[in-house]
Amino acid sequence: MNSLTILGLLPLIGSAALFLLPKGSDLLAKQVALGVSIVVAIAGLGMAFSFNRSATGFQFVEKHQWIPAFGINYALGVDGISLLLILLALVLTPVVIAACWHEAEGGRWSVKNFFGLILILETMIVGVFAATDIFLFYVFFEAMLIPVYFLIGGYGTGEKAAAAVKFLLYSLFGGLLMLASIIGLYVISGNQLQAPTFDVTALSQLSIDPVTQRMLFLGFFIAFAIKAPLWPFHTWLPDAARAATPGTSVLLLGVLDKVGTYGMIRFCLSLFPEASKEFGPTIIVLSLISIFYGAFLAIAQGTSSGDGNIKALISYTSISHFGFITLGIFAFTEQSHSGATLYMINHGFSTAALFLIAGWMISRRKSERISDFGGLQRVTPIMAWLFFIAGMSSLALPGLSSFVSEFLVLVGTFARYPIPAIIGTIGIIFAALYILIPVQRALHGPITPGNENLTDLTLREKVSIAPVIAVIIFFGFYPQPLLDVINPAASATLSALQITGIMGGK
Amino acid sequence: MNPYLPIIAIGAVGFGFAAFSVVAAAISGPRRYNRSKIDAYECGIEPTPQAAGGGRFPVKYFLTAMLFIIFDIEIVFLYPWAVSFDQLGLFGIVEMFIFIATVFIAYGYVWRRGGLEWD
Amino acid sequence: MNAPNIEYGILGPILIVLAAALIGVLIEAFVSRRYRYILQTGTAFAAVALAFLQLVLIRQTSSKAAVSSMSIDGVTIVLQGSVLIFGFLGLLLIAERGFQSFTAQAAAIPGSNEEQKALVSGLQQTEVFPLTLFAISGAMLFPAANDLLTLFVSLEVLSLPLYLMAGLSQRRRLLSQEAALKYFLLGAFSSAFFLFGSAFIYGQAGSTTFDGIRKSIVESGGSDQFLLVGLALLTVGLLFKVSAAPFHAWTPDVYQGSPTPVTAFMAAVTKVAAFGAAIRIYYFAVGGLVWSWRPILIAISIVTMAIGTVIAIAQKDIKRVLAYSAIAHSGFLLTGIIALSKDGLNATLIYLFTYGFTTIGTFAIVTLVRDSGGEVSDLNRWAGLGKRSPLVAGTFTLFLLGLAGIPLTSGFVGKFAIFTAAYKSGNISVVVAGVLASAIAAFFYIRIIVMMYFSDPVEDGTSVVIPSAMTVATIAICAVATLVMGIYPQPVISAINSLAFFAG
Repeated sequence: MNSLTILGLLPLIGSAALFLLPKGSDLLAKQVALGVSIVVAIAGLGMAFSFNRSATGFQFVEKHQWIPAFGINYALGVDGISLLLILLALVLTPVVIAACWHEAEGGRWSVKNFFGLILILETMIVGVFAATDIFLFYVFFEAMLIPVYFLIGGYGTGEKAAAAVKFLLYSLFGGLLMLASIIGLYVISGNQLQAPTFDVTALSQLSIDPVTQRMLFLGFFIAFAIKAPLWPFHTWLPDAARAATPGTSVLLLGVLDKVGTYGMIRFCLSLFPEASKEFGPTIIVLSLISIFYGAFLAIAQGTSSGDGNIKALISYTSISHFGFITLGIFAFTEQSHSGATLYMINHGFSTAALFLIAGWMISRRKSERISDFGGLQRVTPIMAWLFFIAGMSSLALPGLSSFVSEFLVLVGTFARYPIPAIIGTIGIIFAALYILIPVQRALHGPITPGNENLTDLTLREKVSIAPVIAVIIFFGFYPQPLLDVINPAASATLSALQITGIMGGK
Repeated sequence: MNPYLPIIAIGAVGFGFAAFSVVAAAISGPRRYNRSKIDAYECGIEPTPQAAGGGRFPVKYFLTAMLFIIFDIEIVFLYPWAVSFDQLGLFGIVEMFIFIATVFIAYGYVWRRGGLEWD
Repeated sequence: MNAPNIEYGILGPILIVLAAALIGVLIEAFVSRRYRYILQTGTAFAAVALAFLQLVLIRQTSSKAAVSSMSIDGVTIVLQGSVLIFGFLGLLLIAERGFQSFTAQAAAIPGSNEEQKALVSGLQQTEVFPLTLFAISGAMLFPAANDLLTLFVSLEVLSLPLYLMAGLSQRRRLLSQEAALKYFLLGAFSSAFFLFGSAFIYGQAGSTTFDGIRKSIVESGGSDQFLLVGLALLTVGLLFKVSAAPFHAWTPDVYQGSPTPVTAFMAAVTKVAAFGAAIRIYYFAVGGLVWSWRPILIAISIVTMAIGTVIAIAQKDIKRVLAYSAIAHSGFLLTGIIALSKDGLNATLIYLFTYGFTTIGTFAIVTLVRDSGGEVSDLNRWAGLGKRSPLVAGTFTLFLLGLAGIPLTSGFVGKFAIFTAAYKSGNISVVVAGVLASAIAAFFYIRIIVMMYFSDPVEDGTSVVIPSAMTVATIAICAVATLVMGIYPQPVISAINSLAFFAG
């Protein structure tokens, strides 16, 4: 067995152990889950150090026949992009488990099931990013919906069942469109190669006629746009984020939704280069709309006098951020690509920090309304400061990690599409608004009645959030290690596109 | 000779017999009019007045009729076998006995479950 | 004239089941009531097992039989094997302890004193076993038929017992009798179409055997309108059996009214048999007319998927939901016939094989959810099942995901195979329609899952009974099959691929 399989299998074994625990052993379940996820994270980091940064192509490759009748293989492998996304998931999982220690206690089912589901989800995430066989990717893509569905529906708040169903149906719909495209690709590969295959590398060698390519591209793209989510496919996200527990939201927005943008890079661009170029400008327009749409709705939540919801606000900021990511992807320059990939990682961490801290605020105040959090700066200074740092990272303040990625995306886009880049830059101003307004209203200002006796972060909470904050600050000053891993993969994708003209040189 | 000639001849004979019978009956038969003469069927069961319940037949009647048809059909299948008995030989006997056995199983079932009892 | 030759060996599987059915009739007639149940179940299970054994022994056969009126080839073997397996599972459900799903005295007027008396005295009629065996033998003959007359006879042997069995439900007798009558009348109607079509085809082709029809199409170039009229009428008869729109109207009523074990049996076995026969007709007999029938079947397939999935959303009764789901699956299965290729043949057989397990499992679980009066099929009362009995709800979820075709369940493998075959044959429209229909279908499957897990249980006496070993075994077999064929389908696929050939 290869290292990637082991990495994916460990959390699954952990979750099986959790399900086998007797009823009522909640504390033990939490400890087991945390232990397993930390072991997996360390194993993943260890793997990352043996990753050859100068090589292109997939590493840690393994391949076994699965359903030879259909040419389906169990094939795993990572390049720079997927490696970092896997690491993002592996690091965030123990953080979420530690940070959301008590989150599952109000749920419909037992605590051990909650953590079991999270570990299953971790397995699925490793699988979805590591799969180099499209069929295998699709299987993980669909299968990971199920734990999320139960996490939202079983442990969420408010309209959780409806939100869970909406999430599942949107994703399934996209997934089925993708399935049609996968079948199309498979049939074409059968016509052009000796045997039909699902191997990504082999499929990228196909020459597909333009009309078919456009249809197949759309099948993949819509699935990923729903996942990402890109305007106008985003409507499930606010509901899901509002209903989910903060920990689930972190995994959902921080990691899972990256499957969408990852899929665009890995599949849309490399399998359908012509169609990608053709649809590029349209998608850039959609990205810009997402940037502003997300920002405006976030501002609306922030400025709304009574019922501005902090979880909804964070989810809207994510729509805006995903707009930047797709902008970078479809600008087709090396800088924009590196920026977009880096953005995926950074957004994962900054959103994680925002959601976790917001979750602690909500659990203390027993309210999700932004206007209820007045004066936290004075009552709970550490929590307020951490929220501030996370917010600053979200609005891409120089010195924090998101800045680098947003800068790269905009500079890279400018090289090819100057006007969209300028419009995108204006989006940053709105980003400042949607972060600063809630910070100013919630953290500063007079203490809202009911907030006087709130307690500050416990040691567990501080320790659990520390790695996230550390990452945000560290990679804000020194993003080079990440870029070293990303750049070869990004240029490989672009060279597959055979983009001529401006290459956004370094 | 035209192969259809015998058919036409048989048709003519049949028609002729029918016509002869009607005419001969009209000429030679005695004429005694009474009530049963003007009934629908001169022979067979006397139609009862209205059956109880508005002219419905009891369902048992249909059951018996069905059973009759089934066993009647059996005879129909026996006929072609009898005609080509020589050519079919042992195969025919075996198959026919299997067939008769299956019908007898049905018969046994009907008998034991009371399908042949009127009340 | 020479005496014809009957190949008893390769017809053995069918003959064994038929003989057992006759023995069942004798048992019913001559054995004391006390021993009937045990003898009937013993005969039935032994017969199906023996027949399966004989089928395994003759699995390499590929020839015509009974004077070319039947064709025992790889396709037949696969289909008969499927029928026997699903028949066995169906029998397990039917034989469930206490016979709770079946009426004691089917002939008694609903709600009458006679009915009550029969029920209280516990004098159950056990005719359902021979009836099931007859239906199984018909279902085995149907896909093997190589002649329009044999096809018609086997259609009736399959259907007549089912009409009766539909009316045997213990609860809601009127609904059950209504279902039986509806099924019978519409079935008789479609049989007439079928027979009329056969007559037209015979008139044109001069032969009732499929080989003869095939030859005549090659010779005439398939341009004769009487052949097309005949085929159209024949298609009506077949589409009725597979419950494709617009001939699907009986399905929800019959599925709902029948005793649930019978529904399970009929859903799986009829589908296998009817699609098996359809495959032989469209692939073998009238394959030469593909340009005439393909557009029609494409339209019917799309309409069937649409009706099945859209109307299912509005249903409030679990058995009706599953009935519409069965209609939608017929639409999916038709895409395999439309493909008209070796891939399509393989895919259809794989789909049928995987679908049967899932659907029997689903109905098996429906038999478990009861209140004091019997099965509870109102969806609203399934609320909170996940809390009350997590294991049952979990297994049911697995089956629903299988029906929805979610990856890692067998339903996905079947769906993938069949859509790939259709795409490969260039019929992309049905693939797109199928994908969209799957998306809609996911909605109502998920709605049931939501109901079970995210709604609070209502205290109205609904509970999950502890089933006997028979139902447990059925559910366990179906669940394992759904899961294993989803994760590692290769052995089944290669077995079917290597077997599925028509005899010349």
